[in-house]
Amino acid sequence: MKRQIIQVVASVCSLGFFAGLAAAQAKPAKPITVPGEMKGVQLVSPVPDGKWALPAGDYANTRYSPLNRINTSNVKKLKVVDIVSDGITRGHEGQPLVVNNTLYMVTPFPNNLLAFDLTKPNFPLKWEYKPGPNGEAFALASRGWVNRGASYADGKIIYATLDDNVIAVNAKTGKQVWRIKVGSLSKGETTTMAPLIVKNVVLVGNSGGNFGVRGKLTALDLSNGDVKWTAYNTGPDKDVRIDSSFHPYYSNAKGKNLGVSSWPADAWKRGGGTVWGWISYDPELNLIYYGTGNAAPLNPDQRSGDNKWTCTIWARNPETGQAKWADQLVPHDAWGYSAINENILVDMDWQGKMRKLLLHPGANGFMFVIDRTDGQILSAKTFEPVNWADGYNLKTGLPEVNPTEVTHMGAYARNVCPSSAGAKGSVPSAFSPQTGLLYIPAHNTCMNYEAIKANYIARTPFLGANTLMFPGPGGYQGELVAWDVKDGKKVWSIKDQNLPVYSGVLATGGGLVFYGTMEGWFRAVDARSGKILWQFKTGSGIVGDPMTFTGPHGKQYIAIYSGVGGRMGMVAQPDISASDPYAALGAAGAMKDLKKVTAPGDQLYIFALP
Amino acid sequence: MINRRLHIPSFWQKAVGAWNMRTLACLSSLLLVFTFVGCGQDRNPGPPPMSGFPVSRIPVGPIPGPAQKATLPQNPYAGNTVALQKGHRLFVWFNCAGCHGPHGGGGTGPNLRGMEGTSDAKIFEVIAQGRGTGMPAWGMKLPENQIWMLVSYIKSLGTNEEPDPPLAPSKHKVIQTQ
Repeated sequence: MKRQIIQVVASVCSLGFFAGLAAAQAKPAKPITVPGEMKGVQLVSPVPDGKWALPAGDYANTRYSPLNRINTSNVKKLKVVDIVSDGITRGHEGQPLVVNNTLYMVTPFPNNLLAFDLTKPNFPLKWEYKPGPNGEAFALASRGWVNRGASYADGKIIYATLDDNVIAVNAKTGKQVWRIKVGSLSKGETTTMAPLIVKNVVLVGNSGGNFGVRGKLTALDLSNGDVKWTAYNTGPDKDVRIDSSFHPYYSNAKGKNLGVSSWPADAWKRGGGTVWGWISYDPELNLIYYGTGNAAPLNPDQRSGDNKWTCTIWARNPETGQAKWADQLVPHDAWGYSAINENILVDMDWQGKMRKLLLHPGANGFMFVIDRTDGQILSAKTFEPVNWADGYNLKTGLPEVNPTEVTHMGAYARNVCPSSAGAKGSVPSAFSPQTGLLYIPAHNTCMNYEAIKANYIARTPFLGANTLMFPGPGGYQGELVAWDVKDGKKVWSIKDQNLPVYSGVLATGGGLVFYGTMEGWFRAVDARSGKILWQFKTGSGIVGDPMTFTGPHGKQYIAIYSGVGGRMGMVAQPDISASDPYAALGAAGAMKDLKKVTAPGDQLYIFALP
Repeated sequence: MINRRLHIPSFWQKAVGAWNMRTLACLSSLLLVFTFVGCGQDRNPGPPPMSGFPVSRIPVGPIPGPAQKATLPQNPYAGNTVALQKGHRLFVWFNCAGCHGPHGGGGTGPNLRGMEGTSDAKIFEVIAQGRGTGMPAWGMKLPENQIWMLVSYIKSLGTNEEPDPPLAPSKHKVIQTQ
């Protein structure tokens, strides 16, 4: 008996020793540099050369690839080498993955997974996995049946379906490895975001704020899908996973059970704050970063209080889910300003000192620069017309709200900027360490907002507002903004008079920035000057995110989906009226010309040099 | 000594002995019927016997058989402007506006404007039964008259009778960026 005890103790001790060693080895000893990187800029976790195995390519969400065979001097020769049609003419958000000479594509609902063989001419289909989701999810997809992509790790492609299944598929054979349900259609809950895999954890957020769904992030075990923890975005500290390791920077985030006390009665149970955007990860700090959606219902008078933790950026430990810090960007949201946009991690010289930054181009029109170690907001400047707030008090972390722009039940608020579609939607920006610029796909829309009483009936929208959107001031409705992070200003932009820019952005080591327009133009732009060096008209508006990879023979490729849809693009679908500006949650008012310039599509385009 | 009687197997002896002629006749006629019916399955079945009433009141697809007009249920609120107002309130109250837009122009649910050509009964049926793509089955929750009011409201969308038509946006101030 005694010998057995000694054996057990010895094994535990040695396990602990090796675990500690492994943990120590997980932290990089010195900063990573890439060719052409400017002084005072360091990347946190760059894309491994030629591969694209995570939604943003890298953990830091820079969407920067060092590949440079396609560059400013030769991109004018870029041509189409392959076009794939998936037969599903709904919004194609997200991006493909490339791992081991295979390209993986997740389609819009019904969310099939296709694998293409890059080693053979014409990239033939290797296999197709069809999850067969529940058709009733169709009516719950308030942003148009999109899927924002998959992640790869440990031989598995992992993604989520609209009807709340997280599925791991064997990347070689296309056979299902595991499939776990993480939400419930009966509550109006769906899933559209791209899960992120960190160490042995799969992180998935939910959608459905417009249906009064309670927002959350679920962590599943990579090997078998078992749920390890769930962090809600409303409710008591236990549910929200706040404990003694929580050290928020600002006092408005300090206190017990704020996720209950900042709501009337049990309104937090239907409070929204869903997680349908992007997750970033800092391997050195071992923290994940993501934002939560707007509060439900859109009628603010039904939910007095700050409504924590909606419109909030979280920093959490990925293995335990415990919160490290939180910044609520919009307390008592009266406009639908979700905080789910990407959080780009980069180390930069900030006012004379190297700091670990988090860049968040907000839906509320402010470009946030935040210290990602503790959540301190270093800068918040507007990048599009804004009138709901004059600025942010950097001492308190609170916006200086204009009382005349706060919406109320029974009142018809006019000309509030930006609209609830945001100065920027969930389509992601890119950062180039060569230029120090953040390339933001921006909208310029304002809105009229009539808050009305919302009735909660499960599985029906819990909206509480009629909104109508229209172009903002300045004579343009969209622009690709090149934002100088250090100086906090626009250095150039490419404006679109009639349409928002609603595609993701890619920055490359070839000095290029790629993005697409809602009419379907796919463009390569000089990352420094903003000059359009090349463009190609694809078959449908572009709402997806460009990515790049190397093929089996070292050739560089650029890939992009073409298939209009999503929050602003839904208006192009045949079942949306052209005569009602309030349709599609108000987007129809701003997008009335969309049907004239594009139609739904279903394609993946791949480009290369001849 | 040789037995010269006809050798009948014992079970036949028992069978014949047990049954009398009347039973035999019944059995024979039944056998004949079964033969006819059994053979008929292969060639000319004829219609099954009619019993009870047809299940569906409101057809979605065409009615099989010679061309005929269905006797569809009538909307008791046809032409009733008060019902249009009530229907509009119900449209908002039950969150129809959330999926179909505050003026029915569409969103996650399809555009409902311009349905004057569709019969009231068919619109009633979609609302009552729902659809596999997620339109809820309101007939499980709402009384018939409320569904008819919703039908009246929906039919008015895009027409002069629409109680609350969508208006174009108007702006009253210009915003400067910083």
